[in-house]
Amino acid sequence: MTISGQTPAVSVVDARTVLADIARMLRAVLDEYGLDDIEITMETRFTEDLELESIDLVTLAGSLEAHYGRQVNFAAFVADLELDEIIGLTVGRLVEHVVRCLNAERN
Amino acid sequence: MAMIRTTDGPEGIRLHVQRLAPPDGRPPTTTAVLLHGLLTDSLASYYFTVAPALAAAGTDVVMYDHRGHGRSERPYSSYALADFVTDLERLLDRLEITSPVHLVGNCFGGTVAFEYAVRHPERVAGVCLIESNPATESWAKDIADIFRRLVGELVEHEAEALAWVSAHEGDHTARLARSAARLVRTTSIARDIPASRVLSEEQVRSVRCPVLAVYGRESELAGQAWRLASLLPGTRSVFLPGQGHSVLAEAPGLVLGLLLSSIGEPGGTPPVPVAADGDAR
Repeated sequence: MTISGQTPAVSVVDARTVLADIARMLRAVLDEYGLDDIEITMETRFTEDLELESIDLVTLAGSLEAHYGRQVNFAAFVADLELDEIIGLTVGRLVEHVVRCLNAERN
Repeated sequence: MAMIRTTDGPEGIRLHVQRLAPPDGRPPTTTAVLLHGLLTDSLASYYFTVAPALAAAGTDVVMYDHRGHGRSERPYSSYALADFVTDLERLLDRLEITSPVHLVGNCFGGTVAFEYAVRHPERVAGVCLIESNPATESWAKDIADIFRRLVGELVEHEAEALAWVSAHEGDHTARLARSAARLVRTTSIARDIPASRVLSEEQVRSVRCPVLAVYGRESELAGQAWRLASLLPGTRSVFLPGQGHSVLAEAPGLVLGLLLSSIGEPGGTPPVPVAADGDAR
């Protein structure tokens, strides 16, 4: 598992660490649009606040898999959401999903 | 996956490709190539809907952004239908996919898929058209009308049009419209696609693989389903009630079920007779 080499051996992955990881991945995507100083919080919405297009979320999915491994399946997570939920998706909801996946992996 | 150049020559183009394999390293039972629609569309329409479940069901899923779309390269010219079909040919060669594939096409993606099946019957196991038509004379007329409206209403009066869309359809739709306007403004796509060479009736009839055609019952295209069904009587036409043109985005679960029934069976789905009101039995 890719995770074992990258994360300290704590029993629970905390949301703050994951938020920092995801914010870094998002800044890499936003950087391509020349947006480099946007604050990213748990409440930030991908579509409304960051103006990301769905193809940008595909890029984010790739970054998530590269960092956390395949147990964080962003595509399957989004596929289970309704269209309105995807448009209103917040960073916090993704953070929760990642934390849940990583902790499930450890148990 | 990543960016793949279709050929090494100057005519090659860099396409953004994503591939989902069955989980746990299981060998795939078949390969499905998913082709998205025009202008506002990208492979994300599959990536976040039916693709994960198709892969989980044992399919090797290949998605890519068409030229000019999503993350793929955007050349100024060469946007005739034949150029899109050639991209698909070269991409499959590049990926060394040699056994027959299932092609799934949403809207214009289905038009590309059907043309590919005409060109390469030996390389196609089945075609699933979602809200889509083969490139016949009537298709060319409709698409020319769409581009004429788009250029006249959106591109030539972009600021006013976008303000109107934003007020009536919301910011999200306005953002999609802006990106569509940019593609039309910065490339020859609005001239090239309507000028594409169309298929003869004989060419449409030549397709022997199973063809599934999914429509939203409320969409304009549903009213034209008889055209394909009359040329290819084996077509399995399915009309999803209460759905319009955006059926893949609005009813992904229903579309997935139909795709699995079509892709999952060896040799595809046998033709299903279509009732007078268009419902598949």
